[in-house]
Order: sequence, then structure tokens, then C-alpha cells
Amino acid sequence: MDEEQTAGYREPCGVCSAVDWGVSDEGRFYCRSCHNVIERTREVVDPTFTPGSSRISTIGRGTRTKRPERGRQWVICEGFQFILRNQANALLKLGVSPRFKDEVLCQLWRIYLQKSRQAYTNNPVRTATFKVRGQDSDSDSAAEMSVLSASETDGDTNASSTAGSIAGSSSDWSQCSGSLDAASYLSARLRRSRHGLMSMKKTLALLHLALVWIQEPLTLSDLLRLVNEGHVPYVNAYEELPEEMKLKGKDALIFRVESVPSHRAVHKEAQTLILFLQLPAFPPISQQSLLHPALLSLRYLMDANLPDDLHPWVCRVMECAGMADQALHTFNRLLRPVLPRYDLQTAALIIVTMKLVFGLDDHTEWDLSNEAADQDATGNAFSVRRWFRLVQTALTSAQRRREQHVARKQWTARKPLHPNSKKKCVVMKRKRIAEQLQICFEKLSSRPAGAEQDAPSSFRFCWGDGDGADGPSMHQQQLDAAVTLQRDVLTPSNSTYWHPSLRACKPRKCRSHYSAVEDTLPRSFVWLLRLFCFLLDVPPESLYEETLRTERRLTGHRRRRNREEEEGKREEQGGRGGRGGGREKNREEEEEEQRE
Amino acid sequence: MDDLQRELLEDLDDDSDSSDGNSSKGSKKSKLPLVNPMCAETPKETGFHQSTRVCLEQIREALLHHRWQEAAEYMACYPQMLEDPTNGTGQPYKELIWRISTEILHHHPNSKMEDYNNIYERMKHSGVRHYLMICLEHSFHLLLIGHIEDAKHQLSVAESWRHGKESAAQYQRIKLIHAYRSLLDYIIWCDKKFTRSNTEYPDSGDNQDMHNYFRQASVNLKEILKNPGVWDPFILSYVEMLEFYEDHEEALKVLNDYAYDSTFPPNPNAHVYLYQYLKRHDTSERKLMKVLKILHVLVPSHELMLEYSSLLLQSEKRSDIQKALGVVMEMLDFACWRSNLDVWERLKSIIQKLQLQEDWKDVVSGQMAARKDWWPALHFTSFHASKDSEENPELMKVKAPLTKILCPDLMLKYTASQVTSGE
Repeated sequence: MDEEQTAGYREPCGVCSAVDWGVSDEGRFYCRSCHNVIERTREVVDPTFTPGSSRISTIGRGTRTKRPERGRQWVICEGFQFILRNQANALLKLGVSPRFKDEVLCQLWRIYLQKSRQAYTNNPVRTATFKVRGQDSDSDSAAEMSVLSASETDGDTNASSTAGSIAGSSSDWSQCSGSLDAASYLSARLRRSRHGLMSMKKTLALLHLALVWIQEPLTLSDLLRLVNEGHVPYVNAYEELPEEMKLKGKDALIFRVESVPSHRAVHKEAQTLILFLQLPAFPPISQQSLLHPALLSLRYLMDANLPDDLHPWVCRVMECAGMADQALHTFNRLLRPVLPRYDLQTAALIIVTMKLVFGLDDHTEWDLSNEAADQDATGNAFSVRRWFRLVQTALTSAQRRREQHVARKQWTARKPLHPNSKKKCVVMKRKRIAEQLQICFEKLSSRPAGAEQDAPSSFRFCWGDGDGADGPSMHQQQLDAAVTLQRDVLTPSNSTYWHPSLRACKPRKCRSHYSAVEDTLPRSFVWLLRLFCFLLDVPPESLYEETLRTERRLTGHRRRRNREEEEGKREEQGGRGGRGGGREKNREEEEEEQRE
Repeated sequence: MDDLQRELLEDLDDDSDSSDGNSSKGSKKSKLPLVNPMCAETPKETGFHQSTRVCLEQIREALLHHRWQEAAEYMACYPQMLEDPTNGTGQPYKELIWRISTEILHHHPNSKMEDYNNIYERMKHSGVRHYLMICLEHSFHLLLIGHIEDAKHQLSVAESWRHGKESAAQYQRIKLIHAYRSLLDYIIWCDKKFTRSNTEYPDSGDNQDMHNYFRQASVNLKEILKNPGVWDPFILSYVEMLEFYEDHEEALKVLNDYAYDSTFPPNPNAHVYLYQYLKRHDTSERKLMKVLKILHVLVPSHELMLEYSSLLLQSEKRSDIQKALGVVMEMLDFACWRSNLDVWERLKSIIQKLQLQEDWKDVVSGQMAARKDWWPALHFTSFHASKDSEENPELMKVKAPLTKILCPDLMLKYTASQVTSGE
């Protein structure tokens, strides 16, 4: 039997009762044993039809009865399972350790299924009937999932009230969605909290949690960048599901995405997920871990072409702000139920360090640069002016490249998925037109559509002397004029430190005053902020708020809550009073200029 | 259920996504009726919409700076906009894509005819509202290249298009299509006439063929001429065909209607065409003058005014001579006739004829009364003198004595200048 051509048509032949169909040249079905030709024809859809050549293509009459799909029945979380697996494989290919997939992600997924009562539970949330059909009763998926039979309904009143409607509509499930429980997935959302049910955004949140657990140096912004560049499947990830799982109808509402979610959104999702899953305390993130600011800042300093000599300063600021402690960075459900944003925190630390050493008030840094230029004998002194010019040119071309990437990115799938099955022909027609136009212009411009995929890299810029470098490297330069030796301790020459009002906004009322305040901030600071925003791909407001938070910690600014935390921190700082760090901090407090 | 689905779709992206950029409440909405820009960023924009919006901006920049290769590259990435699932009919984008694509094809060095055909056919069938316009543009393009038969074929296909309410709403475009198809028939008729006149043995079959085209063309041309508008090429072609078949009555009627129908917008060309036709067919001077009189009112600086003035000069009536003077002076009011020898000579001959009357001085001063202030500056300055003496000495010879007659009181500097040293 020509499986491909007959597409699973399994009705017995009227004459000889055999099920052995073939397709003749004209596209008609015929029984191979008795050569009985039936009225069924194979639909001919020719995408390469060029108008202007008057060729008539045969039009099939279509099926009379809705033939059962040759796929198998599947549920939504199975689909997500496959997608997660593909994403994990992609990450493994990029160099993440295999423990990530086997030990951590799998386990997290199972915990999730259990907590959301979609599997590994005695009372499942879904009541879609898993009627055993004649041919394809293969409901045993490859993954280790325990599938429960239909008759078990749970005692949940919500679910039982939907049971009637679901059971009624389950007989025609094949018409509104490819999966069994898409309808219940979507309707149950309204009635219960959203946290239980899976979404594409949650896959990223799960990945992020797993990465944090094993302390891979892949931060959330790195993960999102890999997704944006296409190294990790996300947009149109459903296309890689196995053939037997057919998607249509309402599945589109769940699996189709039109945006890559923002940093804030995924972080929030991860936060709620972590609480929902009631995970135990994470493995502690010590100073040796690559997610800790002590080591993560090295990477960011290198990416921003800042001298390595700045790293000790970053560490000192970190200690002063009380951020060296691993407890701050480790998620603990009882003691510290906040998932830290490692990338933002580290970037904020670096910005505060730059402010400390160079002032960044539109005057000090240029004065220091002048001094460096005047006094520099070896040519090895770091000058903010030279650094700014270098990085600015690289930044503008990188921003232009990113914009081109955004413009050229193709979002549409090869097999479009539309919630409304009736509109499918319209969708297909538009797709054909779009494809033809695309081919025409690809030929004209001799350049294929779509953004070119860059090689994956943790770094945005490449500094050095090689080919393709964005500029010469300043990592080996020294902070000659910027720091001086005072009482045997290295201190910055710059003796003032400015910061805007540190009063925290009420969390519910407003999120950030950045756009109101931006015009009053020094341009160097704003530029540095935007540099790191580009590196991390976050909006300036987030990074600005994180900088303020760091400054609050640094200055011991009181907050309404967490007073014990403040007390604890001050004790730590008091303990370090003997060293240069504490003294320096006191001096800052004396001479700080508050700027509104 | 659709509303529910839409709500769920919005539900699916968390609200935490939305206000990343609009944290401050300070953004005010403008109260003026501004055009809704297509390239503006909306707050809740999906990644897909952002990509297409940025792509469109890049295309626009490339077009404005004439970077055609770059525009073509981005245009290859843009058609995904047509597949936008949230967009209803995608109407404005279809038109956008059509027009931008053709613009790029016009200028790109590698564009071929098949590309044009491809784009036109695709965009035609992408929707109903633009079908007729695209057909028309397609046939224009073929016409410009010289594929007359193809152009006609396109329009014939378009003529037979019916689509319910849409075709009823676009009846004016359909009329245009009929008219242009007839024009194409006329062009083919011209070709056949030309080939027929060149062959030694004219075939009667050819004649019949020509006549068929004539009949096909004239039906629609007659129709379109009933609508108020400017139909210059159509009327010329129609009249030419009618003249060939010696249907003078019809031709005259058509021209008269075109020129004198008050529902039509004022069109000087109509009178020109009528005049030229009448001249070809030896009409009396009275009639010719009548036509030119209206043209004079419409366009005093028309070149036919010269002929008008000569007609007036040849007539015997006194008033006509004075009218002739008025006509020529009104011509000279316009700077384009300033250096024209014929006009000045006509003025000279008119004045000469006028001088046979007694009150010629009054007539002249009457005409010059309104012009005394600015005519000298327009015609008779020393700059003009030097220019004319160098470039156009004959003109100077004609103009110089006229200065005395036209402006007897003024001391004008329009004299033969002394040749400066250096010759």
C-alpha cells in the first residue's frame, strides 16, 4: 500500500474487502487486489503553479467522511515534553553539561507534572476521555508518563463540572484541536489559577531554573539571546514534534508564539514556578561559582573591554554592599524566596564601580582621561575617553547589525497553524502568495531571506588584534591616574560619588521613574547604562532600578522591610572596618552628593 | 467563542510584558487628528510585528536613498507580513507590497519582465479590492514596453471580471478599463493602417480587420466621452479614426461636445483640437475666429493666438484690428514671448495697419494705459537692449521703433548700446 499517497485510508474495498489501496496516475484510488476504482481522489495541490502558463490542475473532490488521522492521541503536556527535550538537546549541543538534561531538567519536569496534577498523581486535572479507538490505541508515549484511563474522574468540583462539557465535545475533539485536552487547557485557565498549566514561556522558565540549579554560567539574558538567534528552538518549536502528533485548531493558541518573551517576563514566570513547585533550597552559590558576581563580573568586564584591573574594585564594592555572601544569591524557599537576577546584579555592580572610580558625572572621567593622556609614558594607561570612542563605534555597528537581524527575522512556520480550521484555506493561499513573492525577490537580490545565524557565543564583542575584532583590547591597561596610594591603600583619585534619590518606589504603584529622571542624569552614566542594556538585552529601566538597589545596599539606605537584613549587613561591614573597604565607605558617606 | 479565544490569546502573554517601556504615566495622547503612522511602535507589540515594522522602515530608508539592492534584500524578508494571523484582511499591506515591489522592480538593474508578471499576477489575486487597479497598471507597463497585444489581453481579462459588490462599487474603474482597452484597439488599428499603407497589395481581409478594430474601439471611446473629464488622448484617437472613415459629422459633433459642454472641466486643448480640425476641413474664417476667441479667453498666451491675430488682421472690420492689437499685447504680457520675433513683427504690422485710422493714437494709448508701469521693465530696459543687440539684432530692429509708438512720453533706454571695448 502506498502509505504516503493514500494517507492512511483504511476503508475495506467494496468488492473484495481488502485494505490495499493505491493511487493511479490520475489520482484516483484503486484497490490493488481487485483493481476496483473508487470515487475518491487524491487532492493535488501544486505550490509551483505559475500563473500565466495556462495549465489546468486537477482538483480533488476531497473526502466524504472525516477520515481518522493516522496519528495518535496525545495531550498537551506530551507536546511540551518533546519541546523541552529539543530545547535541552540544543543546549547540550552548545556545551552545557549533560547533567542539566538528565538529572535536573527531567526531574523538574516530573515535579511540575506532579504538582500540576497532570501526571504522577491519583487525581488528574484533566478529564478528557481517552476512548480506546479501533486502530490507533497507542496511548503509551515514549516518555515515562503514567496515563490514566477515562473512567477515573477526580473529586475536584471544578473538573467535574467541566466533565460533562468535555465528554460531550470529546467525540469531536479531532475537529477542534489535534491534542486531546487543548479545550480543557484553555477553558480551565479561566477557572483556576494559571500557574498550573504549561505555556511556551514556562519552558524557558524551566530551562532557566535548571541552569541555575546546576550553576551553569548561562544567565537568563544569555538564554534569551540564544532563543532570539535561533540556537534554542522556541518560535515554531512545534514543528519539530514527531509526525504522529498532529496539531491543529486550538493547539495553535497554546503552541504558537509571536514574540520571544522579555527578560522580566521570564524571570517573573520562573519566580512563580519556583514557588509553585515548592523546590527545596538550591545548591549554594559560592564565590567560586560562575554565577556569583565575583566571577561573572570578569566576563562582563571582558565583554565591555574594561581593564582587568577593575576587577578587584568590583569585588571590593561587592563586599561593601554585602553582596559577597552566598546566601544572597541562593534561592531558599524559607529564608530567601527571591530568585536573583544574576546578570542584572553583576552589571549593576560594575556600573557602580565605574561610578566610584571614574565619577561618571560628565566631568571627572574626562579630567582623569586628560591626566592619563598627559602623564602617560608607557601608553598603557586606561583612558575613559579612548575607551568610550572605541566602544561607541563597536556599539553602533553592533546595534545596526541587531536591527538588521530583527528586520530580517522570519517568524512564519512552514506548516502554518491556525486556531480556526475554516480559515485554513485563506491562510494557505496567503502563504503561497508570500512564498512566491519571497522567491521572486530572493532571486532578484541573490540573497536568501531570513537573518543569518551568527555562531553562538557568550560574548557580544570581540576585542583584540585578530581579524573580525571590534577593536583593540584594553584589558591589559592600568588604572594609573585613576587610583592613588593613600595610607598604603589603593583608593580612587575621585573622591566624590553621586547618586539619584534612593527612595524605593512602592512595588504596586509604580515600577520605575527612569524615563522621568533620564534627562537629568549625566550623559556618561546613561551611555554606560545603555551599553550594558545592549549587552544583556534588557530595557534601561530594569538595569537602572538594579543599580539603585545596589547603591541602596552600599549606602545602607533604610528600607521599610527587611530591617533585619540591613542590621545583619551592617554588622558584617562593621566587622570589616579595619580594612580599607570600610574606611573608604565611610569617606564616601561623608562626601556623597545627593542629586535629585 | 472567537472573543473568548482572543481574550485567551491576550491572556497568554502575561501583563508583566506590557509596561516594560511605559513605566511613567507622562505620555500624553495628542488631541489633533494625526495620521496613524504605519511605522509606529505600539506598546503591546509582538516580536513578529516588531520584525515586520523594522523591516518596513529599512525598506523605506533604502527606497528613499535609492539603494535598490538593499531594498530588494529586505523586500525578500517582508512578505511574511501577509501571513499575519492577527490581521483581518491585510488590506493596507497588500497595497504597500504591490507598490513597493513595482517600484523596486522599476529601478533594480536585474529586474526582468517575468518578475513583473509574477508580482502583478500574485498581487492581483491576493485580494479583490485592488484587482482592477493592478490590472490597469500591469497593462500600462506592458504598453510602455511595447507589448500591445499583451496589454490588450490583460485589459480584456479585467473587463470580464465580476465580483459581486466589489465590482459594483468599482464601476468607475471598470469604465477606465473599457476606455483604455479601446485606446489599445486604436493603437493596433494604427499599426495595421501603417502596415497596410506600406504594402503594395492591400488585402481586403486587412481592411475588414481594421474595421473590426475601429468598431471595437469606437464603442467604448464614445462611451467614455460622455463622462465629464479630460480625455484628450481618447478624443484624438477617436477623431482620427473617424476622419479616416470620413465620418465628418460625427467627428465634428464629438469635438463640439467636448469643447462646449459646460459640465466638462474647462480644457483649452478641446478648443485647440476643434480649431485644428476645422482648419483641416477648410472652414470659414468667421467660424475659426469664433473658436479662437474662447481659447483667447482661456489661455491668452497660447501660440495659436498668433494665428488668431493674423485672422483678425485679415478681416475688414475696424473693431477686429483693435481686437488684434489687444490679442498681441496680451501675448506679450507673458515673458515667454518676449524674445519672439514673429510676435513683435505681428505687432508692427498691426500698428501699421492701425495707423491708417485717425484715432490710432487713442487706441494705442488705451491699450497701454494699464501697461505703462510695467511694460518698460519687461521689454525695454538697457539690459534687454544689450542682450538683444548681441543675440537677436533683427528683433532689436523691430522693437526699437515700437518703443516710440507705444510709450511716447517715456525716455526709454532701449537703444543700440555702444559697443564696449574689447572686441
